[in-house]
Amino acid sequence: MRFDPVLAWGSMPALLDGALMTLLVTFTVMAVGGPLGLAVSFARMSRRRPLAWFGAAYVSVCRGAPSLILLYLIYNGLAQLDIVRDGPLWFLFQHAFFCVVIAFSLNHSGYIVEIMRGGMEAVPAGLLEAGASLGLSPRQVLWKIRIPIAIRYGLKAYQNEAMLFMKSTAAVSAVTLTDLTAAANEIFYMTYDPFTPIITAGAIYWVINNAMRIGFGLLERRLNRHLGLA
Amino acid sequence: MEFARLERHPAVAMAGVDKFYGKYQALRAVDLEIQRGEKLVVCGPSGSGKSTLIRCINALEPHDAGTISVNGIALGRDRASILDVRREAGMVFQQFNLFPHMTILENCTFAPRTSLGMARDKADALAMRYLARVHIADQAQKFPAQLSGGQQQRVAIARALCMEPRIMLFDEPTSALDPEMVGEVLRAIEELTADGMTMVCVTHEMGFARRVADRCLFMDQGEIVEAAPAGDFFDRPKSPRLRAFLAQILK
Ligand SMILES: Nc1ncnc2c1ncn2[C@@H]1O[C@H](COP(=O)(O)OP(=O)(O)OP(=O)(O)O)[C@@H](O)[C@H]1O
Ligand SMILES: [Mg+2]
Repeated sequence: MRFDPVLAWGSMPALLDGALMTLLVTFTVMAVGGPLGLAVSFARMSRRRPLAWFGAAYVSVCRGAPSLILLYLIYNGLAQLDIVRDGPLWFLFQHAFFCVVIAFSLNHSGYIVEIMRGGMEAVPAGLLEAGASLGLSPRQVLWKIRIPIAIRYGLKAYQNEAMLFMKSTAAVSAVTLTDLTAAANEIFYMTYDPFTPIITAGAIYWVINNAMRIGFGLLERRLNRHLGLA
Repeated sequence: MEFARLERHPAVAMAGVDKFYGKYQALRAVDLEIQRGEKLVVCGPSGSGKSTLIRCINALEPHDAGTISVNGIALGRDRASILDVRREAGMVFQQFNLFPHMTILENCTFAPRTSLGMARDKADALAMRYLARVHIADQAQKFPAQLSGGQQQRVAIARALCMEPRIMLFDEPTSALDPEMVGEVLRAIEELTADGMTMVCVTHEMGFARRVADRCLFMDQGEIVEAAPAGDFFDRPKSPRLRAFLAQILK
C-alpha cells in the first residue's frame, strides 16, 4: 500500500466537487425529509384510524426498503410510466438529483417518524396535564410543550440517523450523480491507484462526519442545557 | 354579573359524582360543597380517590355521573366549560411538572401570554410579583433542572397563581420533597391563604392542616367518610376508619 501525497493534492478539486454533491444531497434531504417526517409522525400518532394506518404503512415501506431500491424505483421505474412522463412534474422527475432527494427523503423521513414518535411518547403526562390545568388548549399544549420537548428527546437518535444517512448517500452514483465516493472512484479508474483517492475521500468523509457531530453537539447543548440530558 | 355569580354560588359544588377507571369505581356518589374562601384539607389512604377528587374538579379527569360546578360554572364535556373551570381553579402537582425547556420566568408567563394573550412586559411583571410572593424571584432566569425540589414546587405555585385563579388545588404538594424542603413549601402555601383564596389541599401534614384548614375531609375507597374542623378531625375522630388511619400516620 502506497499513499501518494502529490496525487492526493492533485485530486483535491475533483474530490471536493464530489464532497459538495454529498453535502448538497445530505442537507437537501434533511431539509425535505425533516418536515416530511414530522408531518407523517402526526399521522402515525393520530387517533383517526386511516391516518394512523397510512403513517404505519409509510414507515414500514420507507424504512423497510433500502434507499437504493427506492431510488431505482423512482429514477428508472417512474420514468417508464406514461402519467409521469406526460405529467406536469416530468421536468423534475427527469433530473437525477430530484429523484435522489425524493428517494432519500422518503427513507430518511421514515426514520424520523419513529424517532419523533418515541420522543412524543417519552414526554411525561404530568407536563401535558400541567399545561391543560393552566387553561391551554390541547393544540397549544401539543405545539408549545409536547413537540418542543419531544424534539429535544429525539435529537440524539436523529443525530445517529443523520450521520449514517450522510455516509449512505454514496448510493447516488448509481443514478449518474458524482458524489465524493464516485469522484474518488473516477480518479482510481484514471490512475489505477487503489489507495490514494479512496483514502483521501475517507478522510473527507471523516471531516464531514465530525463537523456534523460538532454541529449537533452545539444544537443539543443549546436546546438541552436545562433538561439535564446534555 | 361576575360578582353576582360568585356571591350566589359556592366555590365548588359536587353532587352525586361517580368516577370510573374502566370498571374500577374511584369515586362513589361524592357530595361536597366548598365555600368561597374555605381552606379544605383532604386526607386518606393511598388509592382512596383523593387525587381523583381534585382532578375531577378541574376536569383533568372527566366524571361519569353527577354534577360538578365551580364558582357557578357547570362542568360539562364541552371544551368551553372545561376551559372556564380551569380558569377558576389553578392546580399544583406532586411532581411539580414545570416545563423543562422554559426558564422559571417563561414557565410563569407562558399561560398568561398564550391563553390570555397578555403582552410580554405585563406578563413578566405579573410573574415577578408572584415569584416574589413565593420568595423565588431571584431564580427567574434559571431553568427548572437547576432548582431544588422545594424551589421548583414554589415556582409551580407561582405559575398557577399567574392565571389568577380564585381556587387553588394542591395534590400532595410536599410528598415528593426531601424532608428539609417541606417546610418552605408549606409556608408559601400558608402565606397565600391569608388573602381569602379558596384552597383544596391533599396532604397528610397534620401541623399544616391544624394551622390552615377550616375543614378536613377523610376519604376512603372513593367515599368521603368524615368531614370536620381540624381540631375535631384529628383529636376526636368519629369513624373507626379515620381512627385507624390516624393511628397509622401518627406511628
Ligand atoms: N388513570 C387511571 N387508570 C386506572 N386506575 C386509576 C387511574 N388513576 C387512578 N386510578 C385508581 O383509582 C384509585 C384512586 O386513585 P387516586 O389516585 O385518586 O388515589 P389517591 O387517594 O390520590 O392515592 P395516593 O395517595 O396514592 O395518591 C386507585 O385505586 C387507583 O389505582
Ligand atoms: Mg394521589
